[in-house]
Amino acid sequence: MDVRARLTSAAVRAAHVLVVEAPGGWRERFAAERAAAARGWTPAASPADADVLVVCGAPGDDLAALLDRVWDQLPGPRARAQVRSPTGAGQALAEAAALLADERHQRRDARERRQEPAPLHGDMDHGGTDHGGMDHGDMAPAGIPLASGGPDRDGLEMDVLHLSLGPVLPSWPAGLVLDVALQGDVVVSAEARHVGGPTAEGHHGLEPPERAAYRVDGVARLLDLAGWPDAASRARRTRDVLLDGDSATGHRLLVGLRSRVGRSRLLRWQLRGLGPPGRPDVHDRLLRALARAVDDLGRDAGDPGDGTSEDGGAGPDGLASATVGLELAAVRLVVAAADLDRLPTRREVVGG
Amino acid sequence: MADVSVVSPAWAPAAALLVLGGAWGAAALDGVLSGRSTGLPGRASSRRPVDEVARLMRQRRRTTVRADGLLWRVGGAAMLVAALLMVVVVPLGSWAVADLAVGVVWFNTMDVVVWAAVWLAGWGANSAHSLVGGYRFLAQALAYELPLMFALTAPPVAAGSLRVADIAAAQDGLWFAVWMPVAFGVYCIGVVAFSVWGPFAPAAGADIAGGVLAELSGVDRLLVLVGRYALLVAGAAFAVPMFLGGGSGPLLPAWTWVLVKTALLAAALVAVRRRVPAVRPDRFVEAGWVVLLPLVLLQVLVVAVIAVGRG
Repeated sequence: MDVRARLTSAAVRAAHVLVVEAPGGWRERFAAERAAAARGWTPAASPADADVLVVCGAPGDDLAALLDRVWDQLPGPRARAQVRSPTGAGQALAEAAALLADERHQRRDARERRQEPAPLHGDMDHGGTDHGGMDHGDMAPAGIPLASGGPDRDGLEMDVLHLSLGPVLPSWPAGLVLDVALQGDVVVSAEARHVGGPTAEGHHGLEPPERAAYRVDGVARLLDLAGWPDAASRARRTRDVLLDGDSATGHRLLVGLRSRVGRSRLLRWQLRGLGPPGRPDVHDRLLRALARAVDDLGRDAGDPGDGTSEDGGAGPDGLASATVGLELAAVRLVVAAADLDRLPTRREVVGG
Repeated sequence: MADVSVVSPAWAPAAALLVLGGAWGAAALDGVLSGRSTGLPGRASSRRPVDEVARLMRQRRRTTVRADGLLWRVGGAAMLVAALLMVVVVPLGSWAVADLAVGVVWFNTMDVVVWAAVWLAGWGANSAHSLVGGYRFLAQALAYELPLMFALTAPPVAAGSLRVADIAAAQDGLWFAVWMPVAFGVYCIGVVAFSVWGPFAPAAGADIAGGVLAELSGVDRLLVLVGRYALLVAGAAFAVPMFLGGGSGPLLPAWTWVLVKTALLAAALVAVRRRVPAVRPDRFVEAGWVVLLPLVLLQVLVVAVIAVGRG
């Protein structure tokens, strides 16, 4: 039995966490990511990869319903944690770890849960489309309608697949859902909506170190999407140091990060020219966010302006149209880069 | 003709164990290197592979709606199988599991098998992200495969043989890596690319929720991850007789040198992941055809002229 216990504790040490941020829950997400890293836990890229589902902030009813479906997709043994305040993150994760190690609980959970993948909602990306109960006959195996055809950008007929990006997707803006029609992996049309309720941010403006930390977090997410996890982890550590209020160390790390990112020619080659024409591209926005973060620390002046977006405000509709014609990798980078220009003050509420 | 004694097939499991050991080492090294950037202490990060294996063995397998189960599992296992079949033609000092007259072609065949393996792993799950990952790998393969094939022809041209042991023996005094650096560089790019590793991992990228890995859990996931490290190690092992002088070296016996060189090259390939961002397939295709392919063709031309000149 000792071997079994040791294997269990090894497995729990290496747990992968799927962190989901409800709109407005960014402070909780920072704390949860940090607490997870301190335990040596790894961020999960998808529900299949996850042992622990961590929900940060207060999800609205619609997001909560989606999260239940995501929860169904965790292979198990699994644990769910709710982080309602930044200070509660460590405790919430400790409880999740205990639950994950609890063999009896896990066995009961395995017996009681659904044994087959849920029809139609078999993976998270079909979350938005609901054709349940309709009889599509052979045209809809397992309730999923077959892809229909449409002319592609070369005027040829090509299958169109409807897919919802978000809201549960790593490095994706909280609460955003982008309903896209894909031909191959190229987006031919897109529509943005929000789930998870309004972002209740009561006050304007963040203190400079926190603002810098917020920007650096956006940089970390963009670097993750650009496939550079090493630089992304360094950015996250810089973020945590800044949140601790250690501005001197934070400044040093930030300047190091900025020069490392700025020096990478490969990164420039990958990010150059991405985004709407005539506007700063993804690489420009990345460097600009880092420069602004450095500026935030350099001066003690307060708010850099009172807009939600410092770039003149491309709202969700502008964002959706900016993704048309791009392939998925570029869409992810463009969305993450647009998010870099947003500060969490006065975030507008769209849809609901 | 260089002398290689073909060992009894009963030794094949030992060769497989060596590859798995190498894969283990590669995973441990990656754990340590990534621990340095996340701030995890050294001991915790070096036992990472043990913990990860325990986690995946404990995790349940899962399936998706209307998954193509058979092809999905075949794809997942085929990466490891291809890696193991690659190393059978690599001589360990004076022993080899197989001594084929067309050993180089055999290796090339196995690396093309990886195309099918990764694509099937993406296809089988019946999930959009997974499928996008599979197709991304095909786009990437279009970019690296031809340069890799030509890079693989350079050493046989110089050695006048497709037999791996002959190629190793032909590097008496001067390694092929030294006087055909372009071929060696392109070969290394090819190895990293067919291992879906580091800069060439967009098929399993975070931006598509893990791509071909998106729906895998438990042992199925473990098999793919082990296969990926095994491919990296097998690629490094094959580079030793092709470019790095085989078992030649001072003091130590030949088989030790093969292992040492393999370990060093594999470590370098593992470390690449920390240094560079991902190269998206759509941009890599351009570089592969416009830059790498002409360069490596030029390299083969130079090698051929020298080989003819030497008579």
